[in-house]
Amino acid sequence: MAATAEARGGDFPVGMKVLVVDDDPTCLVVLKRMLLECRYDVTTCPQATRALTMLRENRRGFDVIISDVHMPDMDGFRLLELVGLEMDLPVIMMSADSRTDIVMKGIKHGACDYLIKPVRMEELKNIWQHVVRKKFSENKDHEHSGSLDDTDRNRPTNNDNEYASSANDGGDGSWKSQKKKREKEEDEADLENGDPSSTSKKPRVVWSVELHQQFVNAVNHLGIDKAVPKKILELMNVPGLTRENVASHLQKFRLYLKRIAQHHAGIPHPFVAPASSAKVAPLGGLEFQALAASGQIPPQALAALQDELLGRPTSSLALPGRDQSSLRLAAIKGNKPHGEREIAFGQPIYKCQNNAYGAFPQSSPGVGGLPSFGAWPNNKLGTTDSPSALGNVSNSQNSNLLLHELQQQPDSLLSGTLHNIDVKPSGIVMPSQSLNVFPASEGISPNQNPLVMPSQSQGFLPSIPPSMKHEPLLASSPSNSLLGGIDMVNQASTSQPLISTHGANFPGLMNRSSNAMPSPGISNFQSGNNPYVVNQNAMGVSSRPPGVLKTESTDPLSRSYGYGGSSSVDSGLLSSQSKNPQYGLLQNPNDVTGRWSPSQDIDSYGNTIGQGHPGSSSSNYQSSNAALGKLPDQGRGRNHGFVGKGTCIPIRFAVDEVESPTNNLSHSIGSSADIVNPDIFEFSGQM
Amino acid sequence: MECYNLQRQAACLKRSLFDQGYLDEQFYQIEDLQDEASPNFTEEVVSLFFKDSARLMTNIEQAMEKNPRDFNRWDAHMQQLKGSCSSIGASRMKNECASFRNSCRDENAEGCMRSFQKLKREHGVLRQKLESYFQLLRQAGPFETATRPGGA
Repeated sequence: MAATAEARGGDFPVGMKVLVVDDDPTCLVVLKRMLLECRYDVTTCPQATRALTMLRENRRGFDVIISDVHMPDMDGFRLLELVGLEMDLPVIMMSADSRTDIVMKGIKHGACDYLIKPVRMEELKNIWQHVVRKKFSENKDHEHSGSLDDTDRNRPTNNDNEYASSANDGGDGSWKSQKKKREKEEDEADLENGDPSSTSKKPRVVWSVELHQQFVNAVNHLGIDKAVPKKILELMNVPGLTRENVASHLQKFRLYLKRIAQHHAGIPHPFVAPASSAKVAPLGGLEFQALAASGQIPPQALAALQDELLGRPTSSLALPGRDQSSLRLAAIKGNKPHGEREIAFGQPIYKCQNNAYGAFPQSSPGVGGLPSFGAWPNNKLGTTDSPSALGNVSNSQNSNLLLHELQQQPDSLLSGTLHNIDVKPSGIVMPSQSLNVFPASEGISPNQNPLVMPSQSQGFLPSIPPSMKHEPLLASSPSNSLLGGIDMVNQASTSQPLISTHGANFPGLMNRSSNAMPSPGISNFQSGNNPYVVNQNAMGVSSRPPGVLKTESTDPLSRSYGYGGSSSVDSGLLSSQSKNPQYGLLQNPNDVTGRWSPSQDIDSYGNTIGQGHPGSSSSNYQSSNAALGKLPDQGRGRNHGFVGKGTCIPIRFAVDEVESPTNNLSHSIGSSADIVNPDIFEFSGQM
Repeated sequence: MECYNLQRQAACLKRSLFDQGYLDEQFYQIEDLQDEASPNFTEEVVSLFFKDSARLMTNIEQAMEKNPRDFNRWDAHMQQLKGSCSSIGASRMKNECASFRNSCRDENAEGCMRSFQKLKREHGVLRQKLESYFQLLRQAGPFETATRPGGA
C-alpha cells in the first residue's frame, strides 16, 4: 500500500487499479460503471487469456483483479491461481453461481473474496480492503523479521497510521478486523510484493528460478519444519530480499507442498503403470523436490512425480520448464491431474545459482537437472523492476510453452519443459542432479538397480568429494523394481550423480527407497548432499527415514538420505555434495517412505549423475546439466526418455555426460556396479 | 403537461414492471449509475443485454437440438444467461433460467424444453416493455428519468 498510497497521493483507494475479467458483456459494462463510481481505475477484459497476458506484461499495472468463474477460454479458478502465483495480486471471484461448494473452491484456490452476481455497489466499494490487507500483512512480516510469520500478524505496525489516514474510515477498529482477516487469508494472500517498508517503494520481489532455488535450498537445509523466514533469509543471503518476502513465499510453498502431497498421494508406481503416468500430475522439478523434502509425499508419489518431472515417457511429467504459473497452479490446485499445479514451484529451482551455495555453475543451464525447475523463469533474483523483467517476459514464453505443453499430454510436457529449462540455466537447478527426478524408469525396471551396485561408491565417483563417499548404496538390488529408478540413482549417486550436483541437492530426488525398504521418505531432497539421493536405502537398506536431505551430510550416504539406517546405502545418494541443500524437496522423512520405487527412474539418472559430478566442476555435471538444459538435443543418447527436450532432463544428460567425459567413470561404474552403465539408464533411450 | 404525462407513464410502467416481477432491485442499481457523464447508461446496458441474451439463447437452442440430452452443456450455457439476467435485474428471466437449470440437474429434457419456451416468452415480453419504457423516457425529456417509484 505504501506504494499505492504514494502513487495516488495518499488518496487511496481512489485510483486503485482494477482489472475485471468476464465473458459476459452486460456484466462487464455494469461492473465497469460501478467501479468508476467508486473512483477506481478500471480496465475490463472479456477474455481470461488476454487478461493474463496483460497482467504478465504489466505486473504492477493492477492492484486487484475481479474475475468471473465460468469463462469459455479459461476457468476462472485457473486464472486465479495463475495470478496468485505469478503476480501475487489479490483476486476476487464472482459468479451467479452461489453454490457453497463452488464458493469454497474459490476460497481454496486463493480468492480474496467471492461475490455473487449481481454485484452491488456496496460490495465493490469495499474491495480496496483486500489490497490493503495484503500489503499490510506483508509489511508486518517485514517489520518483524526474525519472528515467525504467524506471530507477526497480530502486531500492529506503523503502517497502520499510513493506512488509517487515507483509507480507513473506521479507525483502529477496522484495522484490527483487517488483521484478523489477514490471518484468515494467510494462505491465500501471500504477499510477495517487495514492499516491506511501509514508506519506501521497493520493487516487488519476483521469485525467479534462481531465487526460488535458493529458497528451496535453504528450506531443505533447515528442514521444512524448522524453516523459518529469518533463517531462510539468512541462508539465502540475497541482498535486498526481506524476511517478509521470504515469509510470504514460504507460506505459498508450504501450501504448494501440501497440495502436491495430497494430490499425489497414492500415485501408482511409475514403473508399474507407466501409462498411468499421465495421471500423475507432472510436477515441476522444484515441486517435486519440495514435496519430497517435505516428506509429505509418499515415495511412490515422489517417484511418480519425478517421472513426471523428468518427462518420462510414461508419465506426463510436468517438466520444469513449465510456466511458473502453471506450476504454481499445479501446486495450488493440487487436485488437478497434472501439471498445472505442480509446476508452480519449479521456478526457483532453476536458478539456484546462488552464491550462497555456489554449487552450481552459473553457466550451465543448470536447469538441466531439474526438469521441474525449469519452470521458473530466469528472473532476476528478487526484485523485478520491470514487469517483464522478472523473467516473466522471457519466461512467459517459455513458461507458456511449458505450460502449454504440460497441459498437453505428458510426453509433450516433457519436451515442453525441457525446453524451458534451457532457458534458465542457472545451473542451480540441479535438477539433473536430482536423481529424483528421473526415476530410473527406463530400463531400470526390472532390476532396477543396476545401480545397486554394491560398493561401488568408490568406483564411481572419482570425482566425488570425500563426503560423497557413499557406499554403494544399493548393494543388492533391492527390490529393484521399486528402487529401480532410485536405486539406480542411488547407486549412481554414490558415485556422483548426486553429488555432483553442485552440491545442491537434487531437489527432485526422491529416494526411492527401493525395494523393500520402506525407506523413509527418501526424499531426495536432501539438502546439500546428494542431489539425488534421498533414498539410498532403496535397497533394502534400512530405510531410515529419509529425512535426510540433509545438507551436508558428512556422511554422504547415510546422511543424505535420511535413511540413515543403512549406512551403506545412503551414501550413494549424494553425499557428495555439498552442503548445498538442494532442495527441491525438503526432506521429510516422514512422508517419504520408501515408496518411491517408481522413482526409480531417477536411478537411471542417478547413475549417470553420480558419475562424477561431485561438486566440482560441474564439469561433468555441469555439463550435463548444461546439457540438460539443452537437453533436447544434446545428443545424449542417454536422455532417457526425456528426450531431448533438451532441457531439463538432467538425468539423461547425466548419463550422457557421464559417459563422455568420464568414460572411466562410467566404466567404473559400469563395472562395479553396473549400474552406472549408461546403458542401463539408457534403456532404449526412452525413459 | 405532455411531458409530465409521459414521465408519469414511464414511471408507471416501471413500477408495474417491478410489481409484476419483471425487474428487481438490480435494475435500480443500474439506474443509479446513470448520471450526466453517462446519461443513457441504463438504456445502453439494457440494449446490450438483449443483444447478448438473444445470442445466448440461440446457442442454447442449438445445443438443445444438436446435443440432445447433453445437460451439462445446456446447463453451462444457461449459467451464462442467468448471470447476464441477474446483472440487469431481469428477475423473471432469471427465475426461468434457474428452473431450466434445475431441469438439467434432474436430466429432465421435457422440463428443459418447457422452461426454455417460457424463457423465450419472458425475454420477448421484457424486451418489449423496456423498449416502451425507454421510449417514453426519451419522449418525456431528459429530466426525471430513471427515478425510483417514490420519486416519480
